[in-house]
Amino acid sequence: MEIFSSGKLSKINNNHVSGISKQTGFPSPAAHYAEPSIDLHDELIANRDATFYVRIDGDELSNYNILDKDVLLIDRSLTPKKNDLVLVVLDGEFKVIRFSGASLETEFILWGLISYIIHYAR
Amino acid sequence: MIALVDCNSFYVTCEQVFRPDLWGKPVVVLSNNDGCVIAANKEAKALSGIPMFEPVFKIKKQLIENKVTFFSSNYTLYGEMSQRVMNILSSFSPEVEIYSIDEAFVDVSGMKHFSMNYYGHQIKDTIFKYTGLPVGVGIAPTKVLAKLANKISKKRVSENKGVFVIDSEEKRIEALKWADISTVWGIGSKHSKRLKGIGILTAYEFTQLPGEWVRKNMTVVGLRIWNELQGKSSIEFKTMPAPKKRIGTAKSFGKKIEDLGMIQEACSSYISEVSEVLRSQKSCATYLQVFLHTNYFSDRDKQYSNSVTVTLSIPTSDTFVLISEAKKALNSIYRPGYRFKKVGVCLSGIIPNNYVQGNLFTPTPRWEKNELMHVFDKINRKYGKSTLFSGLVGTRVKEWELVKEDRSPRYTTQWKELLKLKTTKH
Repeated sequence: MEIFSSGKLSKINNNHVSGISKQTGFPSPAAHYAEPSIDLHDELIANRDATFYVRIDGDELSNYNILDKDVLLIDRSLTPKKNDLVLVVLDGEFKVIRFSGASLETEFILWGLISYIIHYAR
Repeated sequence: MIALVDCNSFYVTCEQVFRPDLWGKPVVVLSNNDGCVIAANKEAKALSGIPMFEPVFKIKKQLIENKVTFFSSNYTLYGEMSQRVMNILSSFSPEVEIYSIDEAFVDVSGMKHFSMNYYGHQIKDTIFKYTGLPVGVGIAPTKVLAKLANKISKKRVSENKGVFVIDSEEKRIEALKWADISTVWGIGSKHSKRLKGIGILTAYEFTQLPGEWVRKNMTVVGLRIWNELQGKSSIEFKTMPAPKKRIGTAKSFGKKIEDLGMIQEACSSYISEVSEVLRSQKSCATYLQVFLHTNYFSDRDKQYSNSVTVTLSIPTSDTFVLISEAKKALNSIYRPGYRFKKVGVCLSGIIPNNYVQGNLFTPTPRWEKNELMHVFDKINRKYGKSTLFSGLVGTRVKEWELVKEDRSPRYTTQWKELLKLKTTKH
């Protein structure tokens, strides 16, 4: 009778973790140039505590390039200059007007300056 | 020097910022479930016959007759506006103690380049410009005096224009003589009654009492107030809010409910709320209390109330563990045949995550590894509360949830609820 050796049994190495590749080749040439991606919130909003949003309902402001469903960013911390678009209150109602000069006509109360108009293009 | 900044009729002005049609008009805000008036602006207060904290059903007719606009409370909006105010304050001084949703102490000792009055106006004007919210500012050497200065800033508006500074001995004495003892911060109604009984009517007279007497009769707490009124700072400045010792929530149902399943759903939903708060302050709760009661004010209903406190085998902040414990607790106190009005939960024995001890039979949990709750909270923060919720909360929320009929849009936190501007031809 011949006895065959079944060979040495060895356990599977538990330490091997698939899915993580060890860096072996040449390091990425971009590594030193990495920057965070653009964040629109950082770019468009200078002062979060003073910024509010308004949604436009209607097409009547198209002469200011403000269209139906656009969203206005209103930055209350900014002081308007001539020709800036501003949100004002007249007789208890919101209105968008173009700022005409150094100070508002008395009947308008300034609510905030329109810093951006967000328009959905599709 | 310490500034106390607080917002005038905060809830109401939060609503008015976005509603110029209501500027200068009487407005009130109702409590959860539209139960009673919790905030009113000065125009509404000026109308006689609109008492605060009065059930709305009793005064609804008066509100409508007087053309008072009323809102259900919109805590999402008030919380966000409050955050803006607090952020602006921290740009004035690194030391800000948030005292409540509409009040904060600001340490302005470092500001030596300008007069305190100028500085107070800067704070007030900046907050109004950025947020549209009017505030009052009181500045004084101590917290109790700053509170008093703030009161004066509002009482004599035409003179002080919302800012009052106590920066000299004469002004301090004048302020103390002006202040009724019952209005001093920290003097409760019991002590003020007692003091008035012995002829002490103003804060000034109180400061003339010997310190020994105050300590003996009003404990060290009274002595601190006495010292603060003298201009000696005795109440600590806390820039970090102390972690809460108890977190609870209990709201009345929109209607009376008999069904255990429905009560369980409400209870599970409250647990979800409080456990999220618990996790946000990186703590765990040791005890869970559940209580349940019928409407005390109803003569027609049979009355029943009960509560039970559960000791958790290991302190936890896991929504699912807490919900299943709450369910068991609720089952033990629920009795069929009653029309229930309110269920509430309260977590106590709150300890920081890293103090949690295991016991002999259960290994110490690794809280920082509670990935499920972490992802759960992250998703709910991003997509809105209750995007993900435990199945036990159910979907019949509408049947028991609070009535919030007249809530304003969440202008600053929900993209779909932005302030809407209807444009018309000029």
